[in-house]
Amino acid sequence: MPVILQNSHVSPEVCLMTIKGLTGKAGQFYMLRPTKVLDPLLGRPISIHDCVDGNCSFLYRIAGKGTSLMSELRAGDTIEAYGPYGNGFEPVDSDIRLIGGGIGIAPLYFLARTQKALYPNRVIEAYLGFVEKPFMVQYFRAVADFVYVRVGGYITSDVPFEENVVNYACGPVPMMKAAKEEAEKKGSTLYLSLEAHMACGVGACLGCTCPTVSGNKRVCKDGPVFLASEVCFE
Amino acid sequence: MSRLTTILAGVELKNPVIAASGTFGFGKEFEGYFDPGILGGISGKGLTLNGSKGNKGIRVCETPAGMMNSIGLENPGVEHFVKEGCKIMRSTGAAVICNLGGHSLEDYVKAAELLNEADIDILELNISCPNVKEGGMAFGMCGATASDVVKRVKAVTRFPLMVKLSPNANDIIEVARAVEDAGADAISLINTLLGMKIDVVRRKPIFNNIYAGVSGPAVMPIALRMVHQVCKAVKIPVVGMGGISSYTDALEFIMAGAVAVQVGTANFANPYTMPRIIEGLEKYCIQNSLENISEIRGII
Repeated sequence: MPVILQNSHVSPEVCLMTIKGLTGKAGQFYMLRPTKVLDPLLGRPISIHDCVDGNCSFLYRIAGKGTSLMSELRAGDTIEAYGPYGNGFEPVDSDIRLIGGGIGIAPLYFLARTQKALYPNRVIEAYLGFVEKPFMVQYFRAVADFVYVRVGGYITSDVPFEENVVNYACGPVPMMKAAKEEAEKKGSTLYLSLEAHMACGVGACLGCTCPTVSGNKRVCKDGPVFLASEVCFE
Repeated sequence: MSRLTTILAGVELKNPVIAASGTFGFGKEFEGYFDPGILGGISGKGLTLNGSKGNKGIRVCETPAGMMNSIGLENPGVEHFVKEGCKIMRSTGAAVICNLGGHSLEDYVKAAELLNEADIDILELNISCPNVKEGGMAFGMCGATASDVVKRVKAVTRFPLMVKLSPNANDIIEVARAVEDAGADAISLINTLLGMKIDVVRRKPIFNNIYAGVSGPAVMPIALRMVHQVCKAVKIPVVGMGGISSYTDALEFIMAGAVAVQVGTANFANPYTMPRIIEGLEKYCIQNSLENISEIRGII
């Protein structure tokens, strides 16, 4: 059973947990659940925030009973962790721009850090939007060439979607819808990391499907990362 | 014959543990965790004649010790299953159970005819899906309509016919007797219980269909009671399900009279659930000197 190495608040509602012995790539996620309980029953799909030396860290927002119980776990406690699941971010051969809304910044940090390590000469820009107090911004400052932070309103309205930069967005649905519209207007490539209610994480239950131009796709198995041009928001 | 070998409607299963429909795809999705060939059987995702995109909006949400779903039978259709789905299921090595839903009597019959071309072991007739607007559960709500569809499908199918009952029926014992009289070779129960959840912030139901199916450990006592009642009422084999998450849960259903069990929601919480149940049942048989698990079947 995986062991928690550390678990602490980075803001009143957001925690950072590191779990020993897990791997994965940027954009993938794990189903995490407290051990040996039937309530809550299902794992919580949480994207990998970073992966160093065979340990994965997860940035998560306390949103309900499951994440609240997770926030009470301490170093040395065990947790059930199933994964890594999903496709992850597609690496590209260009400068990149990250557009994160709230807890949606979580998987983008891992992408930024690994891309910077591989291609130090490529430019990474990060546009981070928060409803209230920003968190984890210093992490992005350490790996991105440019970090822009907005509190309140739509971060997407500040993003210049020019053509030669590939954009990656993760955040609330209205933000991702707006990003898709803007990117399409400017002819700019945009990848979205979608969030959905999930039960299994392996593509069996069809609880997390999203409509796309080529029919229903499973966010857990075919995603969570999709080209924005594929996604049909309901 | 091993301690867990089970005969269901003439089909030999390695053990009495079957993956429940809608929770195990067509058998390959959990391969990263265990070889699906160790299972007694796999009931595939519920099919409808022409396939379906399923329901819009939120499809799953959690409830205390359980969950609700409103998938709406998203599936690739019978033709696709005959060509591909059943082959994928067969390649697992577990007994292949094809779960079939429908929106009308004609749909069920036509689909059952087409399925005669498929390589399956048992046809599980789903007359209990609560999440489709037309048909589905409506057929399983009373004995007369259930009897009609079972008779019609039984007349055309070449496979043993297992009928999956709804706990939302007015009188599940009456429905069980009616499907037995109509020629069913086995009965499985329970499908999900109709429930509801409201988002108090949005002041709206969580699900577009307002009501959705409740499953998971929370429903097990109700499922067990119904399985016990049905086992007492019919002579054909009964496959029990509803909230099973451990081998002791499975034992309860078997002691209540079930020939085999299906495991569904618990696979989502822990993908190793079914292998652990099989191991647990095997150990139980050894510790209690049972030559076959059937020795404790229906002892209650």
